[in-house]
Amino acid sequence: MASVGKSALDSAAVAELRAILGDDAIVSRPTELKVYECDGWTIEKSAPELLLRPRSSSEISAVLKALHRREIPFVPRGAGTGLSGGCLPVGAPVMICTSRMNRILAIDYANRRVEVESGVVNLHVSNAVRERGFFYAPDPSSQMACTIGGNIAENSGGPHTLKYGVTTNHVLGLEIVLPDGEIAELGGPAEERLGYDLVGAVVGAEGTAGIVTRAILKLTREPEDRRTLLAIFADVGAATRAVSAIISAGVIPGAIEMMDRLIIEAVEDAFHAGLPRDAGAVLIIELDGIAAALDAQAREVAELARASGAREVRLARDESERATLWKARKRAFGAVGRLAPNYATQDGVVPRTRLPDILREIAAIAERHSLKIGNVFHAGDGNIHPIVLYDERDADETRRAIEAGREILRACVAMGGSLTGEHGIGVEKMAEMPLIFSPDDLIVMSELRRVFDPELRANPNKVIPAPGSCVETAAPRRQTAL
Amino acid sequence: MPPVLHDPAKLARAFAAIVGEANLRPPAGAEARCANLIVAPSGADEIAEIVRKCEADRVTLAPFGAARTLAEIRRAPADIGVALARMKRIVAYEPDDMTIVAEAGATLAELNAAMAARGQWLPADPPRPELTALGAMVAAARFGPSRLSEGTVRDLLIGVRFAGHGGRLVHGGGRVVKNVAGYDLMKVMTGSFGTLGIITETTFRVRPLPARRLIATTRFGDAASSFKAARTLHDAVPLAHLEVASPSVAAALGLDAEFTLIAGFGGSSVEADYLRSRIPELLGADCAVAGGAEAGAIYQRLRDFDLSASSAELLAATPPAELAALLADAPGGFLAFAGSGIARIFLDARAAGDLTRMVEALRTRARDARGHVRVVRVLPELRGGLEIFDQPAAPAMNLMRRMKAAFDPRGVFNSGCFVGGL
Repeated sequence: MASVGKSALDSAAVAELRAILGDDAIVSRPTELKVYECDGWTIEKSAPELLLRPRSSSEISAVLKALHRREIPFVPRGAGTGLSGGCLPVGAPVMICTSRMNRILAIDYANRRVEVESGVVNLHVSNAVRERGFFYAPDPSSQMACTIGGNIAENSGGPHTLKYGVTTNHVLGLEIVLPDGEIAELGGPAEERLGYDLVGAVVGAEGTAGIVTRAILKLTREPEDRRTLLAIFADVGAATRAVSAIISAGVIPGAIEMMDRLIIEAVEDAFHAGLPRDAGAVLIIELDGIAAALDAQAREVAELARASGAREVRLARDESERATLWKARKRAFGAVGRLAPNYATQDGVVPRTRLPDILREIAAIAERHSLKIGNVFHAGDGNIHPIVLYDERDADETRRAIEAGREILRACVAMGGSLTGEHGIGVEKMAEMPLIFSPDDLIVMSELRRVFDPELRANPNKVIPAPGSCVETAAPRRQTAL
Repeated sequence: MPPVLHDPAKLARAFAAIVGEANLRPPAGAEARCANLIVAPSGADEIAEIVRKCEADRVTLAPFGAARTLAEIRRAPADIGVALARMKRIVAYEPDDMTIVAEAGATLAELNAAMAARGQWLPADPPRPELTALGAMVAAARFGPSRLSEGTVRDLLIGVRFAGHGGRLVHGGGRVVKNVAGYDLMKVMTGSFGTLGIITETTFRVRPLPARRLIATTRFGDAASSFKAARTLHDAVPLAHLEVASPSVAAALGLDAEFTLIAGFGGSSVEADYLRSRIPELLGADCAVAGGAEAGAIYQRLRDFDLSASSAELLAATPPAELAALLADAPGGFLAFAGSGIARIFLDARAAGDLTRMVEALRTRARDARGHVRVVRVLPELRGGLEIFDQPAAPAMNLMRRMKAAFDPRGVFNSGCFVGGL
């Protein structure tokens, strides 16, 4: 393996951490640590030597000071729902989990702000403010489990980010414990930044800047009303052309999500959401805003969808029909679990108008590698999520699944896109970074990282490939990590 | 490190060798406060060479568009000003993807003109788009009324190229609207005031122009009730922008000299028709609602508003609901972006000492509200010892020092005029 951090997790170090946190905050039995051997990127697995579950910023500060003195790298973890191996320990013996720091500290409706500890579950924020007519906009599919701290690390998105923006657009201030144990407050409840945008640099840094312990988030006003449409198409090409037609017409829906046939069937088997099993693709289109204008807008969108080839456009008649559609969409990943023992989700991005091309390419890649690949994704953003099905007990199929994923990413880049829209680079896509960034870009990014973490001990061996590594070195690494 | 005194003729020869004699000139007007010699490169490669030359010979540089921001924040001119005026190319406009790439010297007005035929715009609307170069807009984090609904440059910039230390040509982000690959260099460059590198190219996501625009104005007897009405309106309907103007500012905007709530809406015809009847229900019957060309004219006056006769202009930022208290007994006039918690404050003072005291008093109160105050413009004779930026708290300031040292180890990029003397 490339540059594995120096580890000195001896019994004296463990004793010191025990003295700081107490026994109930430390997990050290290998059988219990196995739970933490991977996140949603299950192709690579590696359990930490020690898991810490601190209760406060000051405990994290004391822990990081001890680790800093002993030169021991660490990996932060939220709920472990990430999809790129962001919290996989690679040369970091200690994992620090923020899930006990789950208090909502202050809700300030007058200022539309909420201050939370980083272990708060994403959906709990919206639940806490819903009755007053507000919500927290970034809504990843894992929002019932994922934490705000994890969202900040990955700069998470979700279906409604098409209109409302991703995590970085909603985080105003942070408390972070730097890798040397110092606690820093960055940004604050005011919108304008004072000095460099350190908050902007930390959001999306994938846990390599330290451990975020608190965040000041923006609350968004619930729209007056919504219309949720299901547009049914014979194939994915027509569905994705409809996406461009709608957005080019000047309509910015709250969300436009696409599911292809493989996903529709999986969802129907699992939840009986009423999706048409014979369709090649469906779009879930949600419009929101001033109630008085929505019916006209829904008619316009339905017209545009039909003109692009939709055979039928249905309108959710009430909140329960809307909830059923969204449940189908947000649980699609879970439903896929019924189709194969394992799956890997890719997260490439293409310019929206290239969606028909990339879907054709994905189908060709699936065929070439004799794999099944389903598609369920944020079509409005051009952010694809091909789900590659495989069985990890079949070494050859696993190898083909990895290779297919990489070919999909290369195709995205060739179409002017990017490696990841919302899941992060993690370990999964590190080897592909040179496809979109030059050596100089990567040098400057690693200099930025060292501003926060000069010794590279926070979540080491992530995001930026070690100098001298290249795409080819990735395959054996992955095989050994299986 | 003490500054190096350069022989002007030698300096001119060195940079003429890079950009050509014809692209060197002495500073004109306000530029004289920014730099002693203006160098106008034709592209990123020449900028890289300029940076390397500056680092090798310890020449200080200041990147600029129209030199408006720099003229205010620099205490002494840099050795050279790197003007982006020759770098105005629209590199790629993809109307169906709703993205645009342009060189950093193109102005916002030029960018929007390129998109007008397709009914799109970049909804960052700082004053005087015809004078606002894209690089300067990003570097100074300039914004306008539409930040309430559309966000700021921080939210709209999806890719950036800049020349960094060692003349490295660096890029972050890309051309897609959603992208988390690599560290977010767009955020790092936004609001960095030219202290980390020279922005050479910017990529933005763009939006459809609103089909219809409405502007409602309502007068109030005092500031508090205008802010209260602003919040009621903000909670009730989606707004494009929302301002409260003090009497002097309202008068300068061509409205009656009273505390005035100004609320803008943009959207479809159906939405506009609905809002025309809904707004008076929310604001009271005596509000005036303008549409069409009249709304367009008010919006433009609001966007371009300037009170250049005042001694100084400040930018105060607090959590939105704290702004009314900050402004309640602030001296001078204000134009408050009420939904965003940001106010432009215009002060008059006879002496530098008086001005400094006024600013410091506002700063103390803004800090108590977890906000801060920046000086945007000040008459040179009144500047005295006035600090342009508030001072960040120690741990954040230490990180900023490390950031500057990492991006500009030789201290050539517009040094000495940012927060904490960076």
